[in-house]
Amino acid sequence: MRRPLRTALIPLAFVLMPPGAGQAGEFDATVTDVVENHILPRFDALAEASEALDAAALADCTPGPALKEAWGAAFDAWISASHLRFGPTEADNRAFSLAFWPDSRGATPKALSALIADSDPAVENAEDFTQVSIAAQGFYALEYMLYDDQFTGMGTPAYRCALIRAMTGDIERTTLAIASDWHETWAGYLLPPPSGPYRDEDEVLGELFGALSQGLQFTSDTRLGRPMGTFDRPRATRAEARRSGRSLRHVELSLAALRDLGERLSGDDAELLAQVDEGFQTAQDLAADLDDPIFAGVDDPSGRLRVEILQQAIDHIREQEAANIGARLGVGAGFNALDGD
Amino acid sequence: MTTFSKLAAAALSTTALSLSLATAAQAQEKAEVLTTYADIAAAAYGDSLTTAQALQEAVAALVADPSDATLQAAKTAWLAARVPYQQTEVFRFGNAIVDDWEGKVNAWPLDEGLIDYVDATYGGPTDENEFAALNVIANPTFTLSGEEVDASEITPELIGETLHEADGVEANVASGYHAIEFLLWGQDLNGHAHGAGNRPFTDYAAGDACTNGNCDRRGAYLTAVTDLLVSDLEYMAGQWAEGGEARAAVMENEDAGISTILTGMGSLSYGEQAGERMRLGLMLNDPEEEHDCFSDNTHNSHYYDGLGIQNVYLGNYVRADGSIVSGASLSDLVSELNPDLDAEMRMKLANTMRALGQIKTAAEAGFSYDQMLERGNAGGEALIMGGVDGLVDQTQTIERVVAALGADAIEFEGSDSLDNPGAVFQ
Repeated sequence: MRRPLRTALIPLAFVLMPPGAGQAGEFDATVTDVVENHILPRFDALAEASEALDAAALADCTPGPALKEAWGAAFDAWISASHLRFGPTEADNRAFSLAFWPDSRGATPKALSALIADSDPAVENAEDFTQVSIAAQGFYALEYMLYDDQFTGMGTPAYRCALIRAMTGDIERTTLAIASDWHETWAGYLLPPPSGPYRDEDEVLGELFGALSQGLQFTSDTRLGRPMGTFDRPRATRAEARRSGRSLRHVELSLAALRDLGERLSGDDAELLAQVDEGFQTAQDLAADLDDPIFAGVDDPSGRLRVEILQQAIDHIREQEAANIGARLGVGAGFNALDGD
Repeated sequence: MTTFSKLAAAALSTTALSLSLATAAQAQEKAEVLTTYADIAAAAYGDSLTTAQALQEAVAALVADPSDATLQAAKTAWLAARVPYQQTEVFRFGNAIVDDWEGKVNAWPLDEGLIDYVDATYGGPTDENEFAALNVIANPTFTLSGEEVDASEITPELIGETLHEADGVEANVASGYHAIEFLLWGQDLNGHAHGAGNRPFTDYAAGDACTNGNCDRRGAYLTAVTDLLVSDLEYMAGQWAEGGEARAAVMENEDAGISTILTGMGSLSYGEQAGERMRLGLMLNDPEEEHDCFSDNTHNSHYYDGLGIQNVYLGNYVRADGSIVSGASLSDLVSELNPDLDAEMRMKLANTMRALGQIKTAAEAGFSYDQMLERGNAGGEALIMGGVDGLVDQTQTIERVVAALGADAIEFEGSDSLDNPGAVFQ
């Protein structure tokens, strides 16, 4: 029951903080900055890169350099926005359909094999495709179709092509819907004065702080923790997007995105900002020096130790700088989806 | 120490979470709320124990005299045992004693091929689990993580200490309710169609009547795993009884104890039940992604999980014998601070119970949970999402309760190491 995550998540999963250190509206500038300069540009970039991905697949659906590059660019954009898991990404299970991972049950290869074996006609119709298992949708499923030998040759070329185009079309529509919801509705909910599901500024700040906290937790516990396994039993094959060699890249992209959010949430507090920068820089330097793109090194003790040191640096940000940001804003991390076992 | 660091230190200290610098009267009231909470835990684990003992008797009767009737009686006893146990799940998160132990009794999902024979469609070992199809019942000796294992005698120790989570893989579930469920029902091979697992009683028959081989070993496994469940539940019931460690831990600090209650409510509502157990199964359209997949009892598991959450907020639990445990509640506490918030919390918990009740009633009327999970089944999706939405919605209000109860938090314990952020990596 995914128990290894348990102990790691308790400290920040539920934090009681004194609410509303100041009067309503004290953090208007912080919220506005995060919405306009962190959130909206990320979802715009994701939609744009996803449109380009679909165009690339329509031009040539064979898993060649052009399609792989377009997929990589769109995946980069998703990872850089993937900590913003509330509101538009959660409607209609959009985030799950873009990114079903981790896949501890092996659901993605199972679902793809089933579609291909049955020549399932759901790929011919966009609406039908939204109904298939989310494990067969999105960036991670597409990775199998582009990089895994078992799938690049499975079934007929025509079916694989239709499947890939169904995936890229769905990614495009999903990311456009997210961006559109953000512009039309959700930016307005967050921006002062809070509205929609947010009763007051504390709830808005709690949401934004939760995204930072949960993003750090996911990168530490899941992106790094899964391949690390235990000292006696490392699990290199559980590394994220290892087929395309993107495991470490995702850690770096997420750190860069979370740093940007952390800096903005530090607002005009220069001391806090310096701490946040120092904490992230330490982790980013360790990641840059790791030279282990898919964490294959976890199989030997010294390689595993290097990954563990990176993980500790990220945990340190969670425990120290992120907690201080929460203190500045007077909010806790609340509950998140990783709270189960 | 800066104010930030003090706050951060407090945020990190799970044992020293301070909800408020309470007045003596407030502390007294919180202690009463915690007493009710611990009393409900003691009663619910106690009921889990007695119903598991009834299951133990039914299993003994099945193994001694296998028949349709004794198999059905054992299944009925298992279903009854789930009713109180599921209501204890709200005690998991936040109570370390429970969380460290829970995997032994209710681990899920499982690669059942570890235990017994499975259908050919199950497949063999997987990337994630080398032992997914080990089949201990058919194999008295085998190699596990490089070591030869003697499984000629199937004992609670073998199951609990060697087989459970073998090779560090969580899907190697050898003990607990779901292992027993598999041994009573067998695999549900109906896919999305109506119907549960259909293991014949002759899987436990002696001599030539034995089906699927190794009936004596299967009986030994079922007996040992049920004994283990009973002893595990005895342990946990003791932890919550007067003088038990779990009770002492939750009573130690009133504010930390209150936050434990809320942690359990929120974590079970959101990450565990709404996410892992309900929404994920729906998104994957996988009939095995139901919590009680062999017995098709998932609708009840979800319902009683939800009821457990409502129980601890209202400070009220109906025991397996119909008697009631009740007392000072979190609801009382919130109501004094903010009656509107208490009303909101109660309403949302009630909404969730209605939504989970609709899943239960539909399932009992013949529309089983695995049918609801089928791709394109709009009615099933709406039912399950109704439950998910209720749980997510109530989590938001639980967070509001956390904020409200933390309103006058001023006392924090600091840690010097946190004052020097870069220290660890300089």
